[in-house]
Amino acid sequence: MSQHSPHDDDVMGKAFDLRLMRRLLHFLTPYWRIFSVCVLLILVLTGIQTVLPYITKIAIDDFLTLPWAVVTLDQSPSAGEPIPLGDGRYLVQPGKVSPALRMEWESSGALSAKRYMFVAQGSPQQVVVDRNPQVFTVVPEGFFASDDALRALPAADTITLRQGAITGVIRLAILFAVALVVRFMFGVGHVYLLQLTGQKVMYDMRRQIFAHILRLPLSYFDRTPVGRLVTRVTNDVAAINEMFTSMLVNLFRDAFLIVAVMGIMFHLEWRVALVILALFPFIALAAFEFRRRVRSAYREVRRQIARLNANLQESISGIRIIQIFVQEIKANKRFQKINVDKYRASMRQLITFAVFRPLMSFLSSFAVALVIWYGGQHVLSGSLSLGALTAFIQYVRMLFEPILELSQGYNVLQGAMAASERIFILLDEPEEDRGGGERIENLQGRIEFRHVWFAYKGEDWVLKDVSLIAAPGSRVAIVGPTGSGKTTIIRLLLRMYRIQKGEILLDGVPIEQLDLAFLRSRMAVVLQEVFLFSGDIMENIRLRSEIPEEEAMEAARFANAAFVEELPDGYATEVKERGVTLSVGERQLLSFARAVAFKPQILVLDEATASIDSQTESMIQRSLEKIMEGRTSIVIAHRLSTIRKSDNIIVLHNGKIIEEGTHEELISLRGLYAALHALQFAEAGAE
Amino acid sequence: MDRLTGWLWRYRRRVLLGFLFLLVVDGAGLLVPLVIRGAIDRLASGEGGVLASGLYIVGLAVIVMVSRFLWRYFLIGSSRMIERDLRNKLYQHLLRLSSSFYNEHKTGDLMAHATNDIDAVSRACGFGVLTIADPIFMIPVAVGIMLSIDPRLTLYAIIPLPILTVFMLGFGKVIHHRFEAVQEAFSGLMEKVRENVAGIRVVKSFVQEEGTERDFAVTNSVFIDKNMALVRVWGLFEPLIELLGGATMAIVLWAGGISVISGSISLGDFVAFSQYLMMLTWPMISLGWAVNIIQRGRASIERINRLLAAAPEIVDPPHPRTPNGSKIEFKDLTFSYPSRDGSVPALSRIDLSIEEGTTLGLVGLTGAGKSTLVRMIPRVFDPPPGNVCIGGEDVRDLSLATLREMIGFVPQDPFLFSASISENIAFGSPGASTEQVERAARLSGIHDEIVAFKDGYETRVGERGIALSGGQKQRVAIARALLLVPSILIFDDPLSAVDAEREAFILRNLREFFRGRTCIVIAHRLSAVMHADRIVVLDKGQITERGTHAELLSQGGIYRRIWDLQQAEKEVNGEPA
Repeated sequence: MSQHSPHDDDVMGKAFDLRLMRRLLHFLTPYWRIFSVCVLLILVLTGIQTVLPYITKIAIDDFLTLPWAVVTLDQSPSAGEPIPLGDGRYLVQPGKVSPALRMEWESSGALSAKRYMFVAQGSPQQVVVDRNPQVFTVVPEGFFASDDALRALPAADTITLRQGAITGVIRLAILFAVALVVRFMFGVGHVYLLQLTGQKVMYDMRRQIFAHILRLPLSYFDRTPVGRLVTRVTNDVAAINEMFTSMLVNLFRDAFLIVAVMGIMFHLEWRVALVILALFPFIALAAFEFRRRVRSAYREVRRQIARLNANLQESISGIRIIQIFVQEIKANKRFQKINVDKYRASMRQLITFAVFRPLMSFLSSFAVALVIWYGGQHVLSGSLSLGALTAFIQYVRMLFEPILELSQGYNVLQGAMAASERIFILLDEPEEDRGGGERIENLQGRIEFRHVWFAYKGEDWVLKDVSLIAAPGSRVAIVGPTGSGKTTIIRLLLRMYRIQKGEILLDGVPIEQLDLAFLRSRMAVVLQEVFLFSGDIMENIRLRSEIPEEEAMEAARFANAAFVEELPDGYATEVKERGVTLSVGERQLLSFARAVAFKPQILVLDEATASIDSQTESMIQRSLEKIMEGRTSIVIAHRLSTIRKSDNIIVLHNGKIIEEGTHEELISLRGLYAALHALQFAEAGAE
Repeated sequence: MDRLTGWLWRYRRRVLLGFLFLLVVDGAGLLVPLVIRGAIDRLASGEGGVLASGLYIVGLAVIVMVSRFLWRYFLIGSSRMIERDLRNKLYQHLLRLSSSFYNEHKTGDLMAHATNDIDAVSRACGFGVLTIADPIFMIPVAVGIMLSIDPRLTLYAIIPLPILTVFMLGFGKVIHHRFEAVQEAFSGLMEKVRENVAGIRVVKSFVQEEGTERDFAVTNSVFIDKNMALVRVWGLFEPLIELLGGATMAIVLWAGGISVISGSISLGDFVAFSQYLMMLTWPMISLGWAVNIIQRGRASIERINRLLAAAPEIVDPPHPRTPNGSKIEFKDLTFSYPSRDGSVPALSRIDLSIEEGTTLGLVGLTGAGKSTLVRMIPRVFDPPPGNVCIGGEDVRDLSLATLREMIGFVPQDPFLFSASISENIAFGSPGASTEQVERAARLSGIHDEIVAFKDGYETRVGERGIALSGGQKQRVAIARALLLVPSILIFDDPLSAVDAEREAFILRNLREFFRGRTCIVIAHRLSAVMHADRIVVLDKGQITERGTHAELLSQGGIYRRIWDLQQAEKEVNGEPA
């Protein structure tokens, strides 16, 4: 889709523009509540994510390893239920010591890494000691044994001995599972709410842009390709949505995750955390450098794909020329060259990825190695627990993700900024002037052009000093060769463009003073080229108005468009895809029905020139006569019969009225009209 | 060579090398948790020696890094080669197919085959094959190691993983369908905007802005609904993976924790175990994805193969003959377009011969069959055997290259390629000198306009270049045909977008060039054909009048009436009649 957009759309601006951002956020304001919920949810989710490794850490430190350690101090420890072993050594439970005190012991190296089990005198577990006395050392308060010594115990005895730890681990596992379920529910809720918000914002933006487009003056459409406007409403809005839903929220998540993980790491062991932190600049540098390369490689691939597609498209459309001129070999060579270029570009992109991804995972492994080596020292010295060490390994891996994504976010941001810039330029385009707001009660339908001058551009006058009057209920025919300005007269009457000089009056009121909708709704236009919208025939008659079906059908019958009723699906027949193909004549009749349905006082008609079979032709003629009856009609006439029945004929040549009068008057003038008439007559004779 | 495996076989060495390095990556990767286990166990027992563990990990990481680069390079690289070859093959095939094929296949569809389908094949051959191969090695080895640590625990812990794969399999399909629905709704949205912008005059003149907005709101919300339908499934994706992946960890914590406490496994075993589980999660997920990707690749290669199976209808005869001169003969030619069955023939009973070195004017109303008739000559469409002859030989008995190289053809629609003007003029004669190109341009009355452009003959035309007017394009197309210096020239109304005066001027110029060549000129304006040696009027696929200009005028038929009409027109335009 986007690859076919005009290339000026590829221009990328800066990645961040506060002014644009503020305007963009304006679209988010109606949904700030739901959006805040999203942010809140993401905080909870990130919280849970950082808590999970910590649960494992607690399990390892408090239950998987033995609860007692030896601390060597000058005096009896103030906490941890100390049991003196002599020589200033005490058995303590580090899990029951305040973190501050524990850190003090750890940093001074007073706490042993080795863990012990202690069984108090007279406790239920003493049965195990009684059965295996050789494993335990006796102290006055009870019995203790080291980790290694306990391995000699039979499994059943170990389980009896460590019943408390087993219960503890099971509790933690359940807590872990509960956290998972909560994360799942919140996660689903978060994705749903976030996407819903994004979609609502997109909906609003699209509606606003589309409504604005509909109200732009026609001159804007003359100089803007359709495709560009389509891109604004579709792809550009999608780019902004991507920013809202993926980037903006991920920014919160990643920032929070980094802060939370770093916080926990510093809490666990600040020196190890500091070492990991020192790796950050390298990672960030690598990530940004990679992004830069990926961006350029990606652009090159896109460029080559566009070339390839353009060549392919052209070859297919020009296949006859290639074959007739016997240029298959040359065409093939050319295509192969482009194909190889594309292949090279995609290989370059592949290599960029093939270098970066492994490099990143190497850095991540390097960080893990650092944790094991440097953290291991601290485990040995007692300042870091084993559980904390394993948690560290998981946290290090967790840190790498957001760093990669941050640089990705930059691309999304840049794309969204460029898209929003284009959208705002469109939205800032002034809308069509809605007119002075006047309405005319009891409209008679008198039309007057008073010395009208008009140019689409600069001084290229398309109409020069045109004056004409159409009395209420009369029929004015405009005649003249192609390019004489006939169609322009119709457009000006509908105020599709503003005139430069002179006046156009409806019932004596300048049309600028009239309400635009009022003005246009009083006139019905039938153009040569009948534009049909996708949808059924009914929709094409009443368009998007509230005209009841019954009236639309009446209009169709009145306009001799009864052929509709013979179609298999009648008025519900689709006119485009999967539908019937209507003939030129049928399309004409349909457009008459459309005009009648809107009950205008004034009929503006550009007669079709296309040849239509005589039966349809006469049907169209009869239909036209009926429609024009009692209405002021301005007709760009191509048919003799239409011209003859007109009250006034205006002959236009190069934007000037050169002859005017009734058919008889003009014939006797023996001027351009007479010559034109001879031609028309010759044609009529030829058919 | 027609299936995915066939294409992979073509690059078997690279694919194999890719697999090899993949094995190295997985093997080295699988050792890391074992190193960590050793380190943890040594630390638990208060021993040191973790520096060695750290170095081991770094060493393994280096091996993994290098091998990762290499498998990507070889495996994904071969998929890019397959993509390149397949696209070349398809293009070559498209070049050989005949007009009737292109009448039946829309450009958009062919483009879709050459882009989307080839992409899908490439993805299946690269990413698809990788994601199938990776788990095939990784899963058994990882599970094997885990089993050696603790069989019971392994069985418990991996229960959620196959669920992941099965879930991904079904999931991928649903997501794919809903995603396509979103794409379709997006196209609908685009079409809605396009249509209303294209019909803006109708919208405005019937004051339907508000109604159109309401109508757009429907399309707009359909798009939102389709998106949310996708989100409802796709939104479950990540959370569910996290849930199932996490569930294995919870199981390890429970069962593995008890094993550590009871002393049946070490703490290091426990940590290594959880690392293996984390390593397994992704391959299990991607296994489900891979199946979908490969299925889609298979469907795409089938579509491409169907296209490749379409046989060119117009081909060289087995024993080509050589024409003797350039006399053109139509012998009782009746022709109907193959795609329009049951309708009136486009040409019926045409008997006509154009002597070598003479010019024929072909006149008739739109749809009379003029273009169809001349298209029979270079075999754009194939006439029935024996009906159309050049130099005494049936066109079907001539080699396509011989036949077409004799003919300079200027089609009605002057198709130009996006290239420079001089490249376009020299399209059929790549070796032509600048002088030759300019002479052809002068003859076609376009030279002055070309040199007036800033870049002269190097001016680019087409999509990224300047837009030539219809008349300019037509004259470039004439120059392109003249440069061939052909023995047969066919003009299919190539000056319709040029004004009468200039048309007359160009044709006067060309009269000299026409001399000695067999020419057919189709024209709307009779002034363009009045000097031809002979003029034929075609009406509803039949020849109704023939003769010289003077003869036809005196006959008072269609020719005469068209003549009168055009004279009157001239008068109105203020030109001398």
